[in-house]
Amino acid sequence: MTIKSIHGCIGCGECVQSCPCDVIRLDPSSGKAVIAYPEDCQICHLCRLYCPVDAIEMSPEKTLPVITPWG
Amino acid sequence: MSKSDRQDGPSRRQFLALGGAASGLAAMGLSAGWAENRPSVDAATVAGSEHETDVLVIGGGMAGLFAAVKAHDAGARVLLVSKGRLGASGQTPFAKGFFAYDAARESLSIDDFVARVSRSALGTNNESYTRQLAEHSLDRARELKAWGFFDQVLANRPFLKPITARDIPLMERVMITHLIKQEGRIAGAAGFRLDSAETVLFRARAVVLCTGAGGFKPNGFPVCDLTHDGSIMAYRIGAKITGKEWNDGHFTRADNPAACFDNWGDMFERIPGTTGIEVHHDLGVESNYVAYETGNPLPGGPPGSVGGRKTSGGPVTPQEFQRRAGGPGGPGEGGPGSGSRRDGPPPPPDDGRKPAGGAPDFAMNASQMGGASAGMSIHKSEGLVPMDARCNSTIPGLLAAGDALGSHMAGGIYTQIGSSLAGSAVQGAIAGEEAAGYAARSEQARITPARRDGILAEILAPLKREAGYGPAWVTQTLQGVMIPNFVLYIKKESLMRAALAYVEELRDHHAPMLRAADMHELRLAFETRNMILSAEMKLRASLKRTESRCSHYRTDHPETDDANWRAWINILQGADGQMVLEKQPFGSWPDQS
Amino acid sequence: MKPTRTRLAFAAALLFIGLPLLLFARAPVPSRTLLKDSLSILTILAVALLLGQFFLARTIPAVQRAFKPPRVQALHRWIGYGAITVLLLHPFLIVLPRYFEPGVRPLDALVTMLTSFDTLGVLLGLACWLLLLLLALTSHLRMRLIKRFRISYRAWRGFHALLAAGFTGLALWHAIELGRHTGWLLGGFFALLAIAGIALLARLYLPERHRPAPQAEGLHI
Ligand SMILES: Cc1cc2nc3c(=O)[nH]c(=O)nc-3n(C[C@H](O)[C@H](O)[C@H](O)COP(=O)(O)OP(=O)(O)OC[C@H]3O[C@@H](n4cnc5c(N)ncnc54)[C@H](O)[C@@H]3O)c2cc1C
Ligand code: SF4
Ligand code: SF4
Repeated sequence: MTIKSIHGCIGCGECVQSCPCDVIRLDPSSGKAVIAYPEDCQICHLCRLYCPVDAIEMSPEKTLPVITPWG
Repeated sequence: MSKSDRQDGPSRRQFLALGGAASGLAAMGLSAGWAENRPSVDAATVAGSEHETDVLVIGGGMAGLFAAVKAHDAGARVLLVSKGRLGASGQTPFAKGFFAYDAARESLSIDDFVARVSRSALGTNNESYTRQLAEHSLDRARELKAWGFFDQVLANRPFLKPITARDIPLMERVMITHLIKQEGRIAGAAGFRLDSAETVLFRARAVVLCTGAGGFKPNGFPVCDLTHDGSIMAYRIGAKITGKEWNDGHFTRADNPAACFDNWGDMFERIPGTTGIEVHHDLGVESNYVAYETGNPLPGGPPGSVGGRKTSGGPVTPQEFQRRAGGPGGPGEGGPGSGSRRDGPPPPPDDGRKPAGGAPDFAMNASQMGGASAGMSIHKSEGLVPMDARCNSTIPGLLAAGDALGSHMAGGIYTQIGSSLAGSAVQGAIAGEEAAGYAARSEQARITPARRDGILAEILAPLKREAGYGPAWVTQTLQGVMIPNFVLYIKKESLMRAALAYVEELRDHHAPMLRAADMHELRLAFETRNMILSAEMKLRASLKRTESRCSHYRTDHPETDDANWRAWINILQGADGQMVLEKQPFGSWPDQS
Repeated sequence: MKPTRTRLAFAAALLFIGLPLLLFARAPVPSRTLLKDSLSILTILAVALLLGQFFLARTIPAVQRAFKPPRVQALHRWIGYGAITVLLLHPFLIVLPRYFEPGVRPLDALVTMLTSFDTLGVLLGLACWLLLLLLALTSHLRMRLIKRFRISYRAWRGFHALLAAGFTGLALWHAIELGRHTGWLLGGFFALLAIAGIALLARLYLPERHRPAPQAEGLHI
């Protein structure tokens, strides 16, 4: 699931700006952060580290099948 | 740049909110790979803004920070634009060791240091840039210290300090897609905003590319926001690109390979610190070779003794730089599963403060997975070919610094620990100063309306395409072609030719038909195009280098060939649009033709 | 008398401590570090106990009968000052854990939080914080205020009740807007408590207006 869930968001937008991969957006109606493009998450945790209220929960799993050099 | 167009216009909230609505559709990116394009952004209503400045700095990492600050201090009007946030995008947020050469503490002179790096790099390093790194690194470290960079985990606030103090306009979340050349020199750049349906055009006398490196959006290394955009944009207006045959050999864990945070132990949560001289010959493709010869799984352990498995042949580490397990610089020094990382974490700060130092707590015994950084070369080895030691490219007014510049500062293998981050700072500062000087003596080249309209139409084209290919699907296809160990890392002619056929197909038939439903996917479309061209460059350069050296290894040419290959490979666009490759002897500057 | 007291105390503990804790545990939210979860519990208990204050304000005859007025008053005061302290510290407690773990620095986090004026919940929170401060100050200085403005004790009490009811409404709105654990479960429970409490208060005050004279002077709270 990569970036997994957001609870207790105050809509500050820090995570939206700090996500290198543009995964998170503020929902226009609620004003809160939503995981808009989870498949592009690189699991770097920057969003979580920048969130002032520690609202973001992460998981180490990727939504897409992962392509690796061998298997 | 005038006051009116300096900031973002709509409020922070408005900006960040836009596009959220489109998320549902884009989340289907992959499965909708063949489906009809139902854009949530209407290309016909996309607004456009234009900005003007002396020096345009593209990229908000370590190099971009110093380029902007030093260009400003040299008297230029500067504008800093970045795809991501200042200090929170590219690779800079994850680097914790900063090499600072302090003559008072080191026993090696700068000459000795350069000589040692050159021995490890087997001549692949550009000594001017290696020397320059040592000469300037301490000054840059001191400036960073004053801004608070060595006091906290996250770089955004310390980076903002000098930028706001100088009132340098900053535009974040703007993806640059085009460099503009007119009258034979740089005239500006263009791109679009991620947060609103708006194209952005910049007129500038000089442009400094600080766009970092890139990869194929690999799993296990935080470079998925970088796709060599700078190199590809520059290549398309005639710049020369170098270093594509080298490979960064970072590893990740076999369990959840995409989880780079987890695989790096607590590295991403550390406070940065400085490092002293420590030269290695690291993180090439040794482990990939062992995996190739002996198969999966590949147990963890330090390089050279991968899981205690012995192999014959394979990439050669010079005697002087071979390591023994558990010896100094052995396991635990850093890097996921690599056992050591030349970008390793810094030693604990002198004042005994927390973090920075120590070894990340990797499970050294966990199975390793290669290809964490697939598509990326050794830092500083790939990028624009420098024309001199002042970060000038072969196009007047276009400069590059840091990971975007093919300075070969460290060579085709990782040598000095912590030199990548420091190198970006050092080169950024030089490029900024140099760009300010160039801007002061040159006129703004005129961008004709036809050229502008043509570029803006190109930017919006994927949004207008009614049918086409989804960037996510094309990217996955490219990954499937390029990432296998036997294509990217343990190379031979037949397979590279086969991969090249695929890549040419993607280039000719898929790149022109990439489609996008919103601004996020528009970004993916351009990134995908850039990755395809970068893949082609990697294959062509690797085919051309008929030897093995540093992080480039070929099973059909396993020996180092000093008679023919003491040379770098440059790539440029030929008159017919095809890639042209040329050799540039080590220790020389490119022909200006 | 005794059994009623224990039974009342037990019911109160269940309603204002037990149930909130249960609903906290049932909230569909991942747990965090021990420190953060403890701080969440502390905050939720503070809210629950503040809601309980409505029921200690002469609103429930059974309570009046079972306990001596000064004891009820003392309890009301202690809960009030305790819970208000926790809630006044609430913004700081949110960022406190960052002192002990990497990431954005606590002060930077606080500034970001308190300047997110685009968010309704943050504005509500700021308003609540000020109201709460006012509530605490006016309670603490009530004797002086009564003297200074020459108002009756009843009038002050009315003011106190109004302030408390106003704060409660905004605070619950704020909590439901932003609260990590205050979803419809906990939020709904709190809302029910608040409605019941405010209704009891209203019943106590509104008919009184028509009554000719106050009685039971000793029961002022
Ligand atoms: C996990 C990890 C650990 C590392 N550890 C170390 C270490 O300990 N020591 C060390 O020396 N090095 C280390 N490195 C390497 C180091 O991080 C990089 O070499 C260095 O940060 C590069 O800085 P840069 O400014 O050149 O590029 P980057 O930091 O990559 O910045 C590139 C910038 O360009 C922007 N950009 C890119 N494309 C566009 C576009 N099209 N339009 C607009 N903007 C664009 C990006 O948003 C970003 O802001 C590490 C790297 C990683 C990933
Ligand atoms: S983990 Fe990294 S890539 Fe994923 S959402 Fe957070 S900041 Fe973005
Ligand atoms: S940083 Fe945290 S609080 Fe701010 S918008 Fe993102 S999730 Fe919400």
